[in-house]
Amino acid sequence: MLELSLSALQVRFPGLAAPALAIERLHIAAGSRVAITGASGSGKSTLVNQLIGLERPRGARIDWSGTDLATLGEGARDRWRGRHVGLVMQDFHLFPGLSALDNVLLPAQLARVADGLCRERAAALLAQVGIRRSRQPAETLSRGEMQRVAVARALLRQPGLLVADEPTASLDADSGAAVADLLLDLASEAGSTLLVVSHDPRLCGRLQRRIELAGGRIVADSAGGTPA
Amino acid sequence: MIRFILADLRRLWLGALVIVLLVALASALGVTVTLQERALRLGSARAADKFDLVIGAPGSDTQLVLSTVFLQPAALPLLPGEVLRRLAADARVAWVAPIGFGDSFFDNPIVGTTTTLLRETTPGLAAGRLFAAEGEAVVGAAVELPLGASIKPMHGLAGAGAHVHEALSYRVVGRLLPTATAWDRAILVPIQAVWHIHGLGLDEHDEAPAGHEHDESAGDQATDAGHEPVAQPAGSAGPAAVRADADGHAHAHLDAAAPLDESWRLTPPGLPALLVKPRSIADAYRLRQAYRNEHTLAVFPGEVLTRLYATLGDARRVLALVAGGAQALVAASLVLVTVLHVGQRRRQIGALRAFGAPRAAVFAIVWSELFALVGVGIGLGFAIGYGAARLIAAGFTAQSGVVLPVGFVAADLLSAGWLLGFAALLAALPAALAYRQSPAQALRG
Repeated sequence: MLELSLSALQVRFPGLAAPALAIERLHIAAGSRVAITGASGSGKSTLVNQLIGLERPRGARIDWSGTDLATLGEGARDRWRGRHVGLVMQDFHLFPGLSALDNVLLPAQLARVADGLCRERAAALLAQVGIRRSRQPAETLSRGEMQRVAVARALLRQPGLLVADEPTASLDADSGAAVADLLLDLASEAGSTLLVVSHDPRLCGRLQRRIELAGGRIVADSAGGTPA
Repeated sequence: MIRFILADLRRLWLGALVIVLLVALASALGVTVTLQERALRLGSARAADKFDLVIGAPGSDTQLVLSTVFLQPAALPLLPGEVLRRLAADARVAWVAPIGFGDSFFDNPIVGTTTTLLRETTPGLAAGRLFAAEGEAVVGAAVELPLGASIKPMHGLAGAGAHVHEALSYRVVGRLLPTATAWDRAILVPIQAVWHIHGLGLDEHDEAPAGHEHDESAGDQATDAGHEPVAQPAGSAGPAAVRADADGHAHAHLDAAAPLDESWRLTPPGLPALLVKPRSIADAYRLRQAYRNEHTLAVFPGEVLTRLYATLGDARRVLALVAGGAQALVAASLVLVTVLHVGQRRRQIGALRAFGAPRAAVFAIVWSELFALVGVGIGLGFAIGYGAARLIAAGFTAQSGVVLPVGFVAADLLSAGWLLGFAALLAALPAALAYRQSPAQALRG
């Protein structure tokens, strides 16, 4: 369960006068469930990339329970992300040719941490998300099933932070609802802080806190944080 | 990771196959050139192994070697028979044997020689016995004639304006064990018979069997005009007789039952070549010195072949350059293909990174995929190259009788190592691209 303490985050892209992202201060409590909303281009993805260490923060402090991502090199951020962040993306990113089970295990295997316990947990997670045939090749699953496999994959290493980037946007309503249920249930079961980037009002409505971005700034925060 | 790589290759099997084949063909080209050149060198060196010193009439030393060692048909100038007699009496000579060409039977050259040469240069008989009379022949291991078969020699090579010596034939009495040389395709007959067929005699007397005491100078002349043309029914094996053909050329019959004389007490007629076995290496050099003059040409076939290899080596270098060029082209196209491929997989690679896969793992995946393909291709290329060289060698053997030993040597391992090392470097390029790629940008793209 991770707690965020962020300050002085500013991201600029070359050729643009206005910063793509400018957040003076943001605090997310451990175990909280937060929705990040905003029109496209409002800086949601840029924020997520910064929060999970995909890009190197410059001049900012992004402190997750004592680990400041700004002080870590690329390899260290990769390791930190692998260990602490579960990631669910809009278009699943399952790897064709591998079974559902192998897809769940792949990141752990590439990081050389997949042991017997890990395998057991992967099988249990697949059962939990309702995938019965764990040996089925990923590309033959339905879209709803694919996203459920992706959820299982995100939770394999019991991450302190679960990030879902538009997890329901490419699913029909029923599948979307099922995936939303899973995210909420499994995040609380694993004790993960949950961050969801979404336009889906039904999903956002089920989260305790809602941060709205516009033009790279926080324009509304239901927790009453001060917009920078 | 292995499973991920395998799944990836299975998914992209067609592209993978094309890459493997491209690499395989490019490396096979180089392997074939190397193996073939080596086999040709070894095979011809082996073929010349028993030919210590060859003496012929002045002319091309290369042609002399090609005609004697490889039995390549060519009109060689004749050497005076006196040379044979002198060499036979020379203390520096262990043995000397005449080699007479000119006739053939279908594709097989007929070579006139002596039992001494057969005994000294071949591993022995597989069946039958050596010839003991003028009308008998011994066939090389690759001649497809059974014992007892009769052979009507043709003057010249079939298909090259040859004509059949109508009225005479040899009977096969023995078959030699394989020697892996051009002589395996030869039909070996007594040189005495060749002389008689072409109207060249050891003596002037039709009825006199060879070995008679004679005036030694009598046989010195070629006897084109020395005989009366006598009409003779075709196929008869009567006493030696001469018959004029359309060219006004005189041909004689041989007496199939006439015993052989290999003592050279009589001065033999002209000869295309002599094979000499010196008693020692020093003798070999002395003999070559002595017979290298305006009347005779003495060569060490090994030396002439070495000179030929130098030429062959130049050809090999050209071929190797061509093969190297093909390999470079394939390498360049591989780089292009893989760089494009990595570009197409940006998102996938970005996702792997986003899920926490270490950069080293991403590098390893891309590198091993490509290296595995190129490695398999190189392995396959060596196999194909070996097979191709074997095929070419087999074709060469079928045509010339010379067996070309195709085989790898330790140096080939080294060149395979170089190729693999180069492949490893090549594969590192797209892997480095994947390594350096920012996952956030890749996912956005």
